Amino acid sequence: MREVYVAGIGITSFTRLEYPLVEIAAYPGLMAMKESRIKSIDQLYVANMGASRANRQTGLASAVIDHMSLTPAGAETIENGPASGASAIKQGFLGVASGMYDTVMVIGAERMREVNNLEATDIVASLTHPLVEYIYGVTLPSLAGMFARLYMDKYGVTSRHLGMVAVKNHKHAMDNFYAHLHEEITLEGILDSKDALTNNPMVADPLRYYDCCPVSDGGACLILTTADIAKKTGKPMVRLAGVGQATDTHAVQDRKNPTDLLAVREAAKKSFAMAALKPKDVHVAELHDAFTILEIVESEEVGFFEKGQGHIALQEGYTKLGGKLPINPSGGLKAKGHPVGATGVGQAQEIVLQLRGEAGKRQVKNAKVGFTCNFGGFGNNVVCLTFVREN
Amino acid sequence: MEKNIYAYKCKRCGHVQYPYRTICRNCHDNDHNEFDIVPLSKKGKIVTFTHLYNPPSDFETVCLTLGIVELDDGNRVTCQLNIPKPKMGMKVAGKVEVVRKDEYNKYYGFVFYEA
Amino acid sequence: MAIDLEKILRPVDTPLPEFPAKYMILAGSEQLVIRQVSREEIPDILPYVEPLMHVERDYYDVVAARVYSELLAYYNYRVQDEYVLVAQIEGELVAVVNGRIVNKDVGMSLHTLGLRRGLRVGAHAFAAKMEYHIDILGQKEVLIVAESPIGFRRWMIEYKLEKRFEIPHELGGCPSWALTKNLFDKARNSLIVGTRPVPEALLAKAKAAILAPSDPPKQAVDLLAATRSLNDSTGTILLSQRTKLRGK
Repeated sequence: MREVYVAGIGITSFTRLEYPLVEIAAYPGLMAMKESRIKSIDQLYVANMGASRANRQTGLASAVIDHMSLTPAGAETIENGPASGASAIKQGFLGVASGMYDTVMVIGAERMREVNNLEATDIVASLTHPLVEYIYGVTLPSLAGMFARLYMDKYGVTSRHLGMVAVKNHKHAMDNFYAHLHEEITLEGILDSKDALTNNPMVADPLRYYDCCPVSDGGACLILTTADIAKKTGKPMVRLAGVGQATDTHAVQDRKNPTDLLAVREAAKKSFAMAALKPKDVHVAELHDAFTILEIVESEEVGFFEKGQGHIALQEGYTKLGGKLPINPSGGLKAKGHPVGATGVGQAQEIVLQLRGEAGKRQVKNAKVGFTCNFGGFGNNVVCLTFVREN
Repeated sequence: MEKNIYAYKCKRCGHVQYPYRTICRNCHDNDHNEFDIVPLSKKGKIVTFTHLYNPPSDFETVCLTLGIVELDDGNRVTCQLNIPKPKMGMKVAGKVEVVRKDEYNKYYGFVFYEA
Repeated sequence: MAIDLEKILRPVDTPLPEFPAKYMILAGSEQLVIRQVSREEIPDILPYVEPLMHVERDYYDVVAARVYSELLAYYNYRVQDEYVLVAQIEGELVAVVNGRIVNKDVGMSLHTLGLRRGLRVGAHAFAAKMEYHIDILGQKEVLIVAESPIGFRRWMIEYKLEKRFEIPHELGGCPSWALTKNLFDKARNSLIVGTRPVPEALLAKAKAAILAPSDPPKQAVDLLAATRSLNDSTGTILLSQRTKLRGK
């Protein structure tokens, strides 16, 4: 297999965008092509989850490739729930590594806000098992709430720890122009003060308003190429060194151990193995914090901390910018936003920015190894990526 | 007539799985539909639960109590809890009732009460 | 002569107790002060409401236009028994809420207008309004409608408002919903929020001046983006309008 490098990146603001989905997809592609000076590609992968329902557009990649005037290159839409982004990157990686393509563009795009909030929640709820979960009115927040309750009971994680994740990520996002939320919050405002229950109402006990990420629109792009083509861009060489994917039972009730996220564990293991690295080698990570509890649990399952110690590390400040292992320097899904299909690509874009040294105020010093975890469904399909800076 | 929810017992190896899967999770050796149906137990204990505010629009209530219950026969089910103050580990007994309605259909599922 | 005409044209306001100011801590630890304003302060508020009449999303334009007219009518003595509350952070205006007293038992909630992007003061402001009608004025019920789906979900559904569809609401004659004293008492914990009294220095700062909002909702960067997919599927009209606007 050939080595695969990231030659260009692009991103839109993650917020409510009033542009058609196809444009939300094309814009970051344009940005990536401009910065890499690449004018043609061999294949396009578009990651998206809700286009057929929210935007009434099937075959999204076919629409995007024409919109970007890149025909007759091949194009495919990749749908893997919230893990669509990293899955599309995985396909792009395989295309270049196998020798079949030299230049692959991976775009993630989503425009859920074209429909109202209730409809968007229902689209996301269609990830659940139709016969044993959906019929009960289960939505993703309720699954996260049940999981959080178990975790709090077993390992002593408290609402305060969940609040700390939100406060940290909101703070990080203040320095991220593209983030959805530019809102500094405090533990006093969301938990301690007597008005906290109005500021931060319960959504799915014990998860509260500030424990859940917003619904965002947005797009992001990565261009993956061979070493030679990447060298021509003159940018620092960032290699996609490891890709790992794993699955788990569809219904959350069937998980072997209710407090384990085995798919995360397995996918991370595969990703590190391919990159020939270990969790302790990572300098910066973007984990999937659609709900604040997930950042804590994923940081343990991928191997950064012992099981049950993630919240302690968070408490000690390990995972904030300036700490030993900054997690979600972009603001994570909580503050940067969660345009479902674009998230995985957005995470990768942040890591590449960090490894190139171009992250400005959010820069993690001397970051050479970056890691992302893209969490599909509720932990039943996870894709992890490991990026390495060379030279 | 009292309704049941069924699990599926592989005719080859006897492994019981719920929900339905085409291939037996244990032996991977069954033919198409080679399963016997086995009613799920209606007694168990709460593994975890949540109170969901802002439930989906088809529900008229403002708050929905959902849970995962481990049945006496070892299977776990997601369900609605008709229990005002649930606790993890609480013993519960269930019935199969209408759990969701949309314009045309009624959906039946488990509702658990305090035992 | 002029004075007599004014006597006829001007409604006589019922004397009403003032809304006692209160404050609350927001998600970012900011201190929000909610207080009632008198007619003299209305001209200070109008210039901050006016720009929102041109923000064509989330019904800001409709709500701002209606609030502007209600405030103007209040200032010019052309509406009966209206009250106006403002929410301020460090003196800066972040929300305007208003309503009317129909009779001693029935109140009419008019509007809640948020003036800082993303800040969730709607919940606090709405609660303050309801407290004023039910607790402080002792009314039996408040009639409410919502222009925006967000408002509808947060108030009608969450508080289980009663339908009063036979009563057309003052805002456009739409069927009204009512928050009764009964419902209010049931939801008291979530509806009575904040602390009284407001510390002197904080209240003095709020009363000293109503400052301009620092981050109000703005028009979309691309003036035509919001209407693009709705009204013009070909895109050609918009393109020609845009070139005209940009003088190219």
